[in-house]
Amino acid sequence: MAEHTVTSFDDDLAHISRLVGAMAELAGAMVGDATRALIESDTGLAQRVVSDDALMDARQRELDNRAITVIAKRQPMADDLRAVVGAIRMAGDLERIGDLAKNIAKRVGAVGQSGMPRDLSHSIDAMAQLVLIQIRGVIEEYGAGDTAALARLRDDDERIDVKYTSVFRELLTYMMEDPRNITACTHLLFCAKNLERIGDHVTNIAENAYYVLTGEQLPAARPKTDETAMPAPAA
Amino acid sequence: MLSNEIITADVINAATPKTKIEVKNLNFYYGESKALKDITLSLPERSVTAFIGPSGCGKSTLLRVFNRIYELYPKQRADGEVRLDGENILDRSQDLNLLRTKIGMVFQKPTPFPMSIYENIAFGIRLYEKLSKAEMDERVEQALKRAALWTEVKDKLDASGTSLSGGQQQRLCIARTVAVKPEVILLDEPCSALDPLSTARIEELIDELQADYTIVIVTHNMQQAARVSAQTAFMYLGELIEFDKTEKIFTSPREKRTQDYITGRFG
Repeated sequence: MAEHTVTSFDDDLAHISRLVGAMAELAGAMVGDATRALIESDTGLAQRVVSDDALMDARQRELDNRAITVIAKRQPMADDLRAVVGAIRMAGDLERIGDLAKNIAKRVGAVGQSGMPRDLSHSIDAMAQLVLIQIRGVIEEYGAGDTAALARLRDDDERIDVKYTSVFRELLTYMMEDPRNITACTHLLFCAKNLERIGDHVTNIAENAYYVLTGEQLPAARPKTDETAMPAPAA
Repeated sequence: MLSNEIITADVINAATPKTKIEVKNLNFYYGESKALKDITLSLPERSVTAFIGPSGCGKSTLLRVFNRIYELYPKQRADGEVRLDGENILDRSQDLNLLRTKIGMVFQKPTPFPMSIYENIAFGIRLYEKLSKAEMDERVEQALKRAALWTEVKDKLDASGTSLSGGQQQRLCIARTVAVKPEVILLDEPCSALDPLSTARIEELIDELQADYTIVIVTHNMQQAARVSAQTAFMYLGELIEFDKTEKIFTSPREKRTQDYITGRFG
């Protein structure tokens, strides 16, 4: 894309784009750290995730301010307009991802006291890895302008949902086996749900990125079934 | 570039069904130099169409073809077709006075006649109609009301048109245009000499007038084009590059040259 006649306009847009990148990187780190803290019962690391959320919020505020200033000052059009509006929306999703990661981190203490079965920590870790692949992927593909990959990435969220359903069933089993597990498993259930929600925010980001790049909306969201809402199989 | 047929078809399908002005393979020459190259597009009735593009792209020239005002100047000529309700206005047999009552024009600089506010309006009407004093009074009032100027001038109709502010003068010119009951109003950068408040008044007026008139506006102000028009044509070097719904042009234009122009990346 050629440069703008007013070169400081390019600088403004580049800065907003860098902020989205920084927020995405922070979101990925927070989700990774929160999950590791959960699995390793590392309350120190959990604490860092909680404090990182303040940084995330500050970045979002900076991005909002810059985006609004660009709209007021430059009246962006076409791809520029889509980039600015897209950045505001992506920042909103990234900020929510930060909140959800913080929520996982805050549960580390409560889960840690009761200890987590090894199989279960493996399942949650696997789910978190899927989420991390999605977060890194969406920013990479957006940066590369690969719209087909973004469309695929949106559909890949399905894998997280499937994993969530299986973690949900697993947790139910542990709770039925021994009611003393209920406290820890309930916290873990929230953690798994948070990871699943993070996946949904990544899906939003992919849809937004697709719109920014093409000017077209992806076809209506893929059909989504939450199987955990269905009656559990008879035990 | 996509063929003109495709460009026209999209807009017609999406907008109002009836075409008011249909331009087909229009070429325009200033002496030897060709200013419009094979322009084809359809303007829907009772709707605002904006022409945008850099200086010298031919947008004002195209506007000037619609009422054949170019014929006032030697060595300017057009070929092709411009159909107003199906009738080719480029035909030699076309009555120019009649054409210009059907197609009114407002220019960049307000051009009130050096006469009273009342006479500015009445002058044009008298050329075509014989009205009693009472009827004329009513027509003048109607026109001034239509142009949202009545409350500001009703107590000084005898004052000179040139004594008004720039924004008021421009609305007086619009009132004068509306007074002869045209079908199409051509606006050639009507706000470029006006302050933001006067500009907002004119834009409000355009919004209201489109219920009764087909409006074509040439503007350098892209935000204005985005605000007032339903469809926008982007022209460059005498060619029609893209013609589509305004919303589409300003959010995701199809052509790279349109995109470069509206985002301020033009070479």
